[in-house]
Amino acid sequence: MAKSKKNPPRRVPAEILRKAKEYGFSDRQLAYLWGTTEKAVRNLRKEYGIVPVYKTVDTCAAEFEAHTPYHYSTYDQENESVASARRKVIILGGGPNRIGQGIEFDYCCVHGVMALAEEGIESIMINCNPETVSTDYDTTDKLYFEPLTLEDVLNICDHEKPYGVIVGFGGQTPLKIARALEENGVPILGTSPEGIDLAEDRERFGALLRKQRIPHPKYGTAYSVNNAVLVAEQIGYPVLIRPSYVLGGRAMEICYSGDSVREYMRKAVDVSPEHPVLIDRFLEDAFEFDVDAVADGKDVLIGGIMEHIEEAGIHSGDSSCVIPPYMISEKNLEHLKAYTVKLAKALKVVGLINVQYAIKDDVVYVLEANPRASRTVPFVSKAIGIPLAKIAAKVMMGRTLEDLGVKDFDFRTLKHISVKEAVFPFSKFPRVPIFLGPEMRSTGEVMGISEAFGGAVAKAQMSAGNTLPDHGTVFISVNDSDKNDITLNIVRGFVQLGFSIVATEGTARFLGEHGIQSERVFKVNEGRPNVVDLIKDGKINLIVNTPLGEESRYDEYAIGWAAIAHKVSFITTLSAAATAVKGIERQREGNLSVRTIQEYHKEILT
Amino acid sequence: MQSGEDNRIDSELLSSYINQTFRKESHQTLPKRTDISSILIIGSGPIVIGQACEFDYSGTQACKVLREEGYRIILVNSNPATIMTDPDLADATYVEPITPEFLEKIIDRERPDVILPTMGGQTALNAAVALAESGVLEKYGVELIGAKLDAIKKSEDRELFQAAMNRIGLETPRGAFVRSLDEAMEVVESIGLPIIIRPSFTLGGTGGGAAYNMQEYREKVEHGLSSSPIREVLVEESIMGWKEYELEVMRDLKDNVVIICSIENFDPMGVHTGDSITVAPAQTLTDKEYQAMRDAAKRIIREIGVETGGSNIQFATNPENGKMLVIEMNPRVSRSSALASKATGFPIAKIAAKLAIGYTLDEIPNDITKQTPASFEPTIDYCVVKIPRWDFEKFKGVDDTLGVQMKSVGEAMAIGRTFKESFQKALRSLEQDRHGLGMDGKDSFLVRELSESKRAEWRKKIIDRLKHPKPENVFYLRHALQLGVTPEELHQVTRIDRWFLHNIKQIVDFEEELTSYTL
Repeated sequence: MAKSKKNPPRRVPAEILRKAKEYGFSDRQLAYLWGTTEKAVRNLRKEYGIVPVYKTVDTCAAEFEAHTPYHYSTYDQENESVASARRKVIILGGGPNRIGQGIEFDYCCVHGVMALAEEGIESIMINCNPETVSTDYDTTDKLYFEPLTLEDVLNICDHEKPYGVIVGFGGQTPLKIARALEENGVPILGTSPEGIDLAEDRERFGALLRKQRIPHPKYGTAYSVNNAVLVAEQIGYPVLIRPSYVLGGRAMEICYSGDSVREYMRKAVDVSPEHPVLIDRFLEDAFEFDVDAVADGKDVLIGGIMEHIEEAGIHSGDSSCVIPPYMISEKNLEHLKAYTVKLAKALKVVGLINVQYAIKDDVVYVLEANPRASRTVPFVSKAIGIPLAKIAAKVMMGRTLEDLGVKDFDFRTLKHISVKEAVFPFSKFPRVPIFLGPEMRSTGEVMGISEAFGGAVAKAQMSAGNTLPDHGTVFISVNDSDKNDITLNIVRGFVQLGFSIVATEGTARFLGEHGIQSERVFKVNEGRPNVVDLIKDGKINLIVNTPLGEESRYDEYAIGWAAIAHKVSFITTLSAAATAVKGIERQREGNLSVRTIQEYHKEILT
Repeated sequence: MQSGEDNRIDSELLSSYINQTFRKESHQTLPKRTDISSILIIGSGPIVIGQACEFDYSGTQACKVLREEGYRIILVNSNPATIMTDPDLADATYVEPITPEFLEKIIDRERPDVILPTMGGQTALNAAVALAESGVLEKYGVELIGAKLDAIKKSEDRELFQAAMNRIGLETPRGAFVRSLDEAMEVVESIGLPIIIRPSFTLGGTGGGAAYNMQEYREKVEHGLSSSPIREVLVEESIMGWKEYELEVMRDLKDNVVIICSIENFDPMGVHTGDSITVAPAQTLTDKEYQAMRDAAKRIIREIGVETGGSNIQFATNPENGKMLVIEMNPRVSRSSALASKATGFPIAKIAAKLAIGYTLDEIPNDITKQTPASFEPTIDYCVVKIPRWDFEKFKGVDDTLGVQMKSVGEAMAIGRTFKESFQKALRSLEQDRHGLGMDGKDSFLVRELSESKRAEWRKKIIDRLKHPKPENVFYLRHALQLGVTPEELHQVTRIDRWFLHNIKQIVDFEEELTSYTL
């Protein structure tokens, strides 16, 4: 950075650099300020002998001897963290919770620690999130409460000289620095950064899929607004469009026409040759599946095959899902498994891999593969009774699936159904759009377990604070493409369960044409009392409203907000509505029983 | 489904646990409760804003330590992503809805002797209160441990809390509960504007806010009434701009009370503590003020009647005259106690669980030092800074102004020798591609490159911006200081304590000094 001072800048003396470190400046900041690289700052720092020392959090300011190795770095004199001579492995945590990166990764890290303990290896945790179990000094052999940046992690590696570092458990946070750690000579355990990059780089990953003869949705890259429309047309609408780099507020969107692509490009993206946008064919009405597996280089343990309840287009973290899958042919199931094995081998996965699939017109497409712990690992582990993350950590340490005795898992041995449901913060953020889309917005999740699908759904909804009604009135408003047999079946389901139906004009007419009686209600802008009035008066017990597009957005938002404020269940997809019918059916039978997961797991084994 | 089947617990397993407890007892003289053998722990359910994985941490600790003590642990939590629901951590793990209905089913099936509801946040506490009030606990002969119903009520019910504080000579902000707009209009006449609206029994203060004019007041009261499950809001005098503190306090059956940690909010009252940058230990209190606060905390935990466990008590101090008000008390483990545990090394949840089963603070060894008991108050010879993490870009159209309703989704903490060091470390811990307090290539503009005329314009813009607390404001404090705004001026605008502003100025000044060097 240019700086106009009278005197030409002189080389920074050691005492100034030390003071900068004492003030908490990072090497990155100093590098930026002096127009150099982080590495150059680091080298000079080391040349001057300015390295952090590690102090102990001992509750007593050293008045008594402390036994617990809980440390933080500072630029001071005396080092209080003694590196042991044991074989040790560092696990990088997930940093602060945020949407898309939550507690699931802490679960995986803690399982990594447990696995290391079982293997007799010293575990060292680095994390900076005070809410977590992984930052409990009781959890690991050694805890460094430090930022998860390259600088801070390298400093610890210099001090501890670990056998290796596990980057695959902490979500996106450690992956970002995996490559750089490797370049600095830190051994990365498990899948190599090369394998991780290969899966993330869509050109290379696309080439790999083609080579492996695995179908994937068409995709392209655009460098300008006009180019984007052209690419979208080649691919065919609808398309999923998103920036190649993620900056605040620039979400992905599904576009159905050249106009909407242009509109998206205009308002959402600052496209340039350096910052292209990525365009994928969007597989409308496809069924989506997630697979979590562990590979050891030879075998692949397919742990969980989850079927998403909502159709394609909703972020996998926001979609509810079920184990085992309930609507998949034998043939496609075999494809799902075979592709997962092929990908695990092609990416040379050692540890966890998550693959997302979509099935449309009987073709299985791979949407993406992530050779690392996924958000669903804890859910799957609890559903199937196999601790996938723990197994993955052991595999990273050189054990094989065969000698761990978990080469294979057949979900047909499951005697229970597990449903995962996402939980959203809409009640905290009044007036934000509440329809689900390709951008993840849920903060958490719940699980419902029962011997049948309906029971699991009913429990998951109760846990999510969204208890389904047993009786009352359902408000239904669906868009034109949803005016089909599926909707009719759902509404008939509600009627059979004794619900009265209230619908907006178009939907009411459609239902009437098919012999289903409903009471017509005004939309918000049609007059009063309208549907929002009914919600406020507590006259609606469940809402099924599939998005109608821009022209009725206002209506839909108003309905959604009223529903949230008055705690009325709000469903925005037909698949979720069909699921709700099953849940209510089961709920009305009463007597939903409770069982422990230990009991469920015991049943799988026998 | 055949209900009624498999409804019995494994009796062999149970007797082995009872034996284990019994054997252990014969070797120990500690006053651990031997009249109970099984404990039901309630978790906090899904991660939501205001209730995150800190309760997995506290619940996991409680499961571990109580199991070590030989009790049979029954756990309920609907959140599968938690460590605590791992099948190895409890004897019976129910991934079931945390509702009174399902809890009763679990109680009926497991017949626990006691329930520990203080580890699972407000969700667990609310569930326990519901069970107590509906008579379920009495029906099955289950006792609440950790916090008694009376203490929970006294701390959660504003009117009871206010009365309790008055009894021990402490003040709370003036205010009253209202259940209708009409009542609200009466109250505002005696208190005046601005005024704070807080709906009862909502997570993270959902539906609350401050009102500066009558129209806003009406709107917010209505919104608050509809957010509150019991259609009730508290309207309260505004103490916006006062300094905010928290003390983590523990008490045992012998009436020992220890203060584990003091936490100071960098952001003044008006910003939810979950949305506030916080610092431990407190940095800007005089010794006298701090002792007054400690004394108050001791009186409060005794008056509320939390006999065994930890509580979080929040105070506000008027920076003009040092007047102190008690804001609230949580008779349970909280987000702040997770922070305090990590900040001090004192495992609050673990100790709270031990206190709940009858141990006293002087009998529990501090497992860091092994020599000192838990009745030794922790000493901190470093500075801890926590900064919240928000995710507003995921929510189109959301108002990112920070207020009494919590909006952050997570947090990062950093430890260093000084506030300056910890503050910059915490900023680079946030995973937002920032590498400290600016100067990292990510600044929205560079003050050094502004022309003279632009500088004045930006000064004004930045000061206007700083009037409203927002996530990125710390970076704007730096810009303001670079533009020559004084810490005093910034204090007048933001009400952030001068001490913090001076520290930030030291960082900014030193950054300037660094520009005269090169590598």
